[in-house]
Formats: sequence, C-alpha cells, structure tokens
Amino acid sequence: MKRIWQTLTSGMSKYIIMRLLQVILVLYLYMTLVFIILEAQPGDITDIYVGNPKITPEARDAIVKQLGLDKPIHERYFEYLKNFVTGHLGCSFKWGNISPTPDPVCREQRPTWDLIKERLPRTIVLFLTYTIVSFYIGFFLGKLIAWRRGAIIEYFSTVVGVTLFTVFTPWFALLLVWLFAVNLGVVPIGGFINPDSWTNIRQIGSVDCSVGISCSNIVFNQMLLWLGGLSLFWGIVYLWSRRFSYVWQRNVIRWGAVALGIVLAGLFFGGSWFGEVNRVVLARNTKFQFFVWYFEFPAGTIPLFPLALDFVQHMVLPILTLTLISFAGTMLLMRNTMLETMREDYVMAAKAKGLPDNVVRDKHAARNALLPVVTSLIFAIAFSVDGGVFTETIFSWPGMGQLLLLSALEQDYPVAIGSLVFTGIFALVAHVIADILYAFLDPRIRYD
Amino acid sequence: MAYPVLQVENLTMHYTTRKGAVKAVEDVSFSLEKGEALGLVGESGCGKTSVALTLLRLLPENAQFLGGHVYFFRDGSDEAHARRAVGKPVKVLLDGQEHQGRLVGVDRSQLVLDARLNGRTQQIKLARDGIARIGVDLTALSDEEMRPIRWKGISMIFQAAMNSLNPVYKVGDQIIEAIQTHMPMPIPEARERVAQLFQLVGLDRQLMDRYPHEYSGGMKQRAVIAMALACDPDIIIADEPTTALDVIVQDKILREMRQIQKKLNMSMIYISHDIAVIAEVADKVGVMYAGGLVEFGPAEAIFKNPIHPYTKALMSAFPSIKGEKVKLAALPGEPPDLIKPPSGCRFHPRCPYATEICEREVPKFIEHKPKQHAACWNPLT
Ligand SMILES: Nc1ncnc2c1ncn2[C@@H]1O[C@H](COP(=O)(O)OP(=O)(O)OP(=O)(O)O)[C@@H](O)[C@H]1O
Ligand code: SF4
Ligand SMILES: [Mg+2]
Repeated sequence: MKRIWQTLTSGMSKYIIMRLLQVILVLYLYMTLVFIILEAQPGDITDIYVGNPKITPEARDAIVKQLGLDKPIHERYFEYLKNFVTGHLGCSFKWGNISPTPDPVCREQRPTWDLIKERLPRTIVLFLTYTIVSFYIGFFLGKLIAWRRGAIIEYFSTVVGVTLFTVFTPWFALLLVWLFAVNLGVVPIGGFINPDSWTNIRQIGSVDCSVGISCSNIVFNQMLLWLGGLSLFWGIVYLWSRRFSYVWQRNVIRWGAVALGIVLAGLFFGGSWFGEVNRVVLARNTKFQFFVWYFEFPAGTIPLFPLALDFVQHMVLPILTLTLISFAGTMLLMRNTMLETMREDYVMAAKAKGLPDNVVRDKHAARNALLPVVTSLIFAIAFSVDGGVFTETIFSWPGMGQLLLLSALEQDYPVAIGSLVFTGIFALVAHVIADILYAFLDPRIRYD
Repeated sequence: MAYPVLQVENLTMHYTTRKGAVKAVEDVSFSLEKGEALGLVGESGCGKTSVALTLLRLLPENAQFLGGHVYFFRDGSDEAHARRAVGKPVKVLLDGQEHQGRLVGVDRSQLVLDARLNGRTQQIKLARDGIARIGVDLTALSDEEMRPIRWKGISMIFQAAMNSLNPVYKVGDQIIEAIQTHMPMPIPEARERVAQLFQLVGLDRQLMDRYPHEYSGGMKQRAVIAMALACDPDIIIADEPTTALDVIVQDKILREMRQIQKKLNMSMIYISHDIAVIAEVADKVGVMYAGGLVEFGPAEAIFKNPIHPYTKALMSAFPSIKGEKVKLAALPGEPPDLIKPPSGCRFHPRCPYATEICEREVPKFIEHKPKQHAACWNPLT
C-alpha cells in the first residue's frame, strides 16, 4: 500500500494524476458554461412551436412540463450534470431511429449518444491524422531550413508555407476540391464512404449489419482500434527495447514488432483463416459478443481491406487541405526555435564531440527545438475545433464538427448540447495527452 | 623525451560583423608538448576562446579563417592518422629532425613526402615507425576528416561548461555517445567506462542516470570534465573551466584536474583571464592581448622575469597573498576595440614603456631569452 502511494506521488505519475484532476475541474467548468450559455438565451426551446398552429398553448405547456423546463434553474442544472454522469444525453429532435425495433427510451427518435458514438471516431481519425502529418512536415522542413540557412529550400518553403497559411481556408479547400476531385478525379469530392462499395455488404464477421447497424461504422471502428492498438503496441515496444544494451538487439525487437503488427493487420483486413479461429472461439462462448463487435476477426468471407481503403480515399482531400494550410505555422516556429537552439552550448559541444552532422542536428538541436513547438501545438488544439467544423462541412465528412453545426442550425437542442460537450471533452483529452507527451519529452517537467 | 603534440603557426581569424571585421586572432603561434599544461591568459575579450575554437574548427558562421597552420601530431604507427594525412601539408619529426612538406604516400614501412628543400620541391622518403611523428595540418582537413580528431584527438571543456550538457538526455548517455562515436564498444562496457570516469572526477556512479538539471553547478563541472576525458584525448582544452564556481570548489577542481592530467600524462591548454589560476596549473604560459600572443614561454621564467610590459601589468594584479584579488591597478584604460585596434603594438596606448616606434610598427614575436618569446620593442629584463 505504501509503495503504491509512493509511486503515485512521485515524478511522472504524480504529474499525470495532477493533470487529470485539473482536467476534471476544467470539464466541470466547461459544462457549466455550456449550461449558462443555453440558459442565457431568450425564451425556451419550445419557442420553435410558436408559429405552429397545431400546437396549442396547452400542448406547449405539456411539452414544457414533459421536458422539465418548468423546474427552477438549480434543479435543472443538477439534472443536466446528473444526465451527463449517468450517460443520458436525451433524444434527438430531428434524427429518426435507425434500428428496426423502437428505442427503449427515445422510441422513434435517435438517442443523442448514438449519434455521438458514431461520429466521434470519425473526427478523431481525421484530426489525429492531420495533426501528426502536418506537425511532422512542419517539424521536418523547419529543421532543415534552419540548419541550412539560405538554401533554396528555405525561400521556397517559406513563401509557399506563408501563402498557404494566410489563405482563406474555405476558398482554398474548394480550390483543392475543384482541382483534385472535379478536374483530375483522383479522389472523391466529399463524404465518408462511397455507397456503391457497400451495397452488398450485409455482414461483417458474425455481425449482421443489414439493418439497424451501419456496416461502415463497424469497419471504421475496427480500423481505428487497430491504428490505436498498433501505435500503442509499437510505442511500448520501443520504450521497452531501450532496456537492451546492444543496438542490434533493440533493432531486432523494434523491427520485429513492426513486422508483427503489419502481418497481423494484413491478415485481419485481408480476411483469412483468422475468421475460422474466431468462429471456433465464438461457437464455444458467446459471452464475448460485445468484445467481438470490435475485435473480432472477420469470418474469412469478405476482406476488409477494400472497404478500409474506401475511407482512406475519402480522407485524402480533407487531410491534404488541413495539412497544407497549417504546416507552415509549425515550420516557421520550428525554424525559429531551431535557430536558437543551434546557438546553444550543448550543440557546439555535440559538434566538438565529433558526432556526425545529422546526429548533431537531429538528436541535439532539433530535439530541444521541438519542445516549444509541442507547447504551441498543445495550445493550438483548442483552436482546431472551429477548423474542424469548417473542414467537415466543406468535405461533408460526417463527424462531430458537422453534427455540431447541423444541430445548432436545426435547433436540435439535445444533440447540440451533447456534441458541444463532447467536442469539449475531446479537445480536453487531446490537450492532456499532448501535455503528458510533453512531460515525456522534457525531463525537467517531470520532477517539479 | 619531450615531443610536441601541437604546433600552431601564424593563426589568424576575424569575425565579420556589420561594423567591420573583429580581428580576434592575429598571427598567433605556440606549441604544446606531450604531458604539458599550457596556460593562455589575457583580459576578457582578447581572443582566448577564439583561438581554441579555431584549433578545433568549431567557429561560428561569421568567422573567417584567414591563415595559419595547426599541426596535430600522432605516432607514425597510427594508421588512421597517417591515411588521413595523405595529400595534406604535414610535419614529420624523426630522429630529432623536422621535415615539412606534403605527404604524398604512406605504406607499411615508409612515408613519402614532397618537401621543399633549397627552394626546390623534392621527394623524400622517411622510415615509418613509432618514433616518427606525423603532424597533420588540421586547417587542411575537410569537416568529415576533422570529425575523428574532435574529442579523440582534442577535446574541450567549454567556457559555459554548465550549458554544454544537453538538458533532455541523461548525463551518462551524453558521455556514452562520445565514446560510441570514437571507440565503439558494447553499452555495458561503455557504462563501466563512464563509471570509472565519474570516480576519477569524484562523482557518484549513480549520477550517470540522472539529468543535468538534477546536478549542482560543481557536479556539472565535474561531469563535463569526465566527458572531456571520455575518449582518452591527446589534448584537452579547458576554457575557463571553473569560473562559474565559488572559490573553494574552484580551487579543489583545479587541483584535481592537475592531478588527473599528470596521472594520465595528458597535454592540456588551460584558458583563463585569471593569472592566479594559470600560475597554479600551467607549465608554460601564453599571454594574449587584443587578439595577439604577446609573450610565450616556461611558466617559471615568465613569472620570475616577464619580458612584455603587459605580462608584468597582469602579474602586478596577481595578489601575493592568495585568494584576494586586486584590480589591474598598474594598467590604465580599457582593452582596445578589436574592430579598429591601435596601430603598431596594440598595447601602446596603455603601455608605460611605449616609445615612438611602438605606435608605428608591429613588434616581431621573437625569442628574447632561451625559450621565452615576446613581441615588444622595449623588452623588460
Ligand atoms: N561570433 C562572433 N562574432 C563577432 N565577434 C565575436 C564573436 N565571438 C567573439 N567575438 C569577439 O571576438 C573577441 C574575442 O572573443 P573571445 O570570446 O575569443 O574572447 P575571450 O578571450 O575568450 O574572452 P572571455 O574571457 O570573455 O571569454 C571579442 O571582442 C568578442 O566580442
Ligand atoms: S612594443 Fe612598445 S608599446 Fe608594445 S609593449 Fe613593448 S614597449 Fe609597450
Ligand atoms: Mg572566452
């Protein structure tokens, strides 16, 4: 017990725990803010029925009563918080239920949580991919142009980067759509899937998705889980391999893990004898039904690869747009901090040690220049929400940003509140992850 | 027998700035022998660090190398060194004789040199064995050829030693990195080596797995010294190795460094603005003023009978009772601006012995007493 306490209160763990506590506090404040903003609006949500001749004032009062709008504000506030904690996000006013049987709570309407559950992963994928791609490109170019001042690449990438950075986003997005989708036809114009590829798909693995459940969601979630799982696995193996003293041992372990991950993913998405194994397991024990819904190896019939590729094709254009308009920020910041760290004594010392040029550049100069850039990235996360709304709308990517805009426009209050809160949660979680990552990058943070 | 490990000849280097060229190193020549400690002393801004950086070719972008030679000597049996020297200007020391020229070939038994003798270029052949010492001109090497010389040949303790540790890596790993670059070995062995180095400089071996910010100033200083020793270099340049420390720790570390240097029979160049520090550690002293070397010779002789008036002025500031420091009382004025240094002898505006010629002509750097060189028109006796 004492040891557990010690681990929890020391160094990194303490840092992470403190951060998580802070996040819970911020989340609470954020939800309160959302509540206040909604309360501060004139009238109540039944105002939309004012012009409707079918709804008499009596009926309207009944609705008010049914929705609990007649209760005093503090009661409603606690109800609102309680609903989030217990996961009751209400029913959409506009979206109909898609399952063949009526929903136990919402009956013919679609539960808000159902919408969010479906859309949040799509936003996460888009956001994460573009963040990593644009960050890496910015980091890489910034590093190079600082290291070789005055090279042609410096002028070129600075001019291109700054131009793209300052250009009006929607206009540029439409330009890219016009160029790549309309003129060249190499990528789809927008959307999330190509319905033609999915018409004959009625079953993914053992899950029947002909009615009520979207087949594309199953495949998409599996793709997401694999991406996350593999990254986690590779990350852990990478850290763990550092225990080994010999470079070749580390390399064998690292490349072995990479190969293993790729083979497993290939087998999974390629559809194969894994399906058989899975059927056998399922036949013995159906308790894992839920688990299987996500992790199941598909039953050898249809390879998932072409289906997964369908998403990837639809993601190319939004990611390209977001990357092009945002990499310059990272690049210029990286260039500046790199120029500063290059003057540091430890960089001179690294050179004096006779290390190869690229080691001095990457391991010493760039590694330290990275820190302020990551900090700025952490701050930028909160601001990327509006970019998400733009992009998802322009490319009709059915994610949280689009849901937020649609529900706000259609006055679908339960969904609007739900998506607002979950967008906030998502931004917060991303913020915390980036923060913790930063603590791993900078040893000076961990011990304070 | 003493033999040189480094000969510096007519080194000249300026920094380009918007206001004009900063003449930071002007015609500096000196030599360093095996196992010897040379002290470079001079007021702040006189170009001591610049000399060191020019030797190691670690100059900033705005530096302009204008001429001179830096011969770095190693045994004739060192294969890599001999190969590196092919095609480069070299000095070869064999049987007490010095041969200078361009090395055109090496094989197992001999060195072939294009040397200028009596005004003609001749090819000479020299026996190649452990006695022959090949000094290659570092200024003629490419960056890639220079890499193995750095740290393995000449390592350096930087002026801001505290900042020469990268904050994001463990101290031990930063030393191992240097070891792995120059003498690849399995990590456990390298770690053991670091542990021994830590012991040598008086640090606990547990500290190698700590980050720089967990070290105190004195500990960082010791770690940096351990790092400089990591690859058994022929020469260590210690640029103000202790200025950031308090006097007691400073004294202790200096004494320990001196001990290590004697024990490993290493050659060292100590750089300091504090002549008391130099007096404590150096066998030979070089006095710098405004970018130039004004006096150079054995420490004993210089401290007893300085030839150059500037040396004398420095020494009068050197407290007779150790510990207490007196300002340069005998020296009025400021060190000159290196963009527009005074004509003739750069010291003349401040020199109590200046005569008319001092303002007009640059005094030659010559041997006034046995082994004691100075650049002065009116040498003191
Ligand atoms: N990168 C640079 N660009 C321009 N001038 C420089 C540069 N580095 C040094 N100088 C100038 O060159 C001169 C010599 O500097 P240097 O650092 O070699 O002096 P120093 O003797 O080591 O002094 P200190 O005791 O302060 O370390 C100084 O006048 C300094 O201002
Ligand atoms: S040359 Fe003249 S000015 Fe210079 S140090 Fe000697 S006496 Fe003084
Ligand atoms: Mg200096």
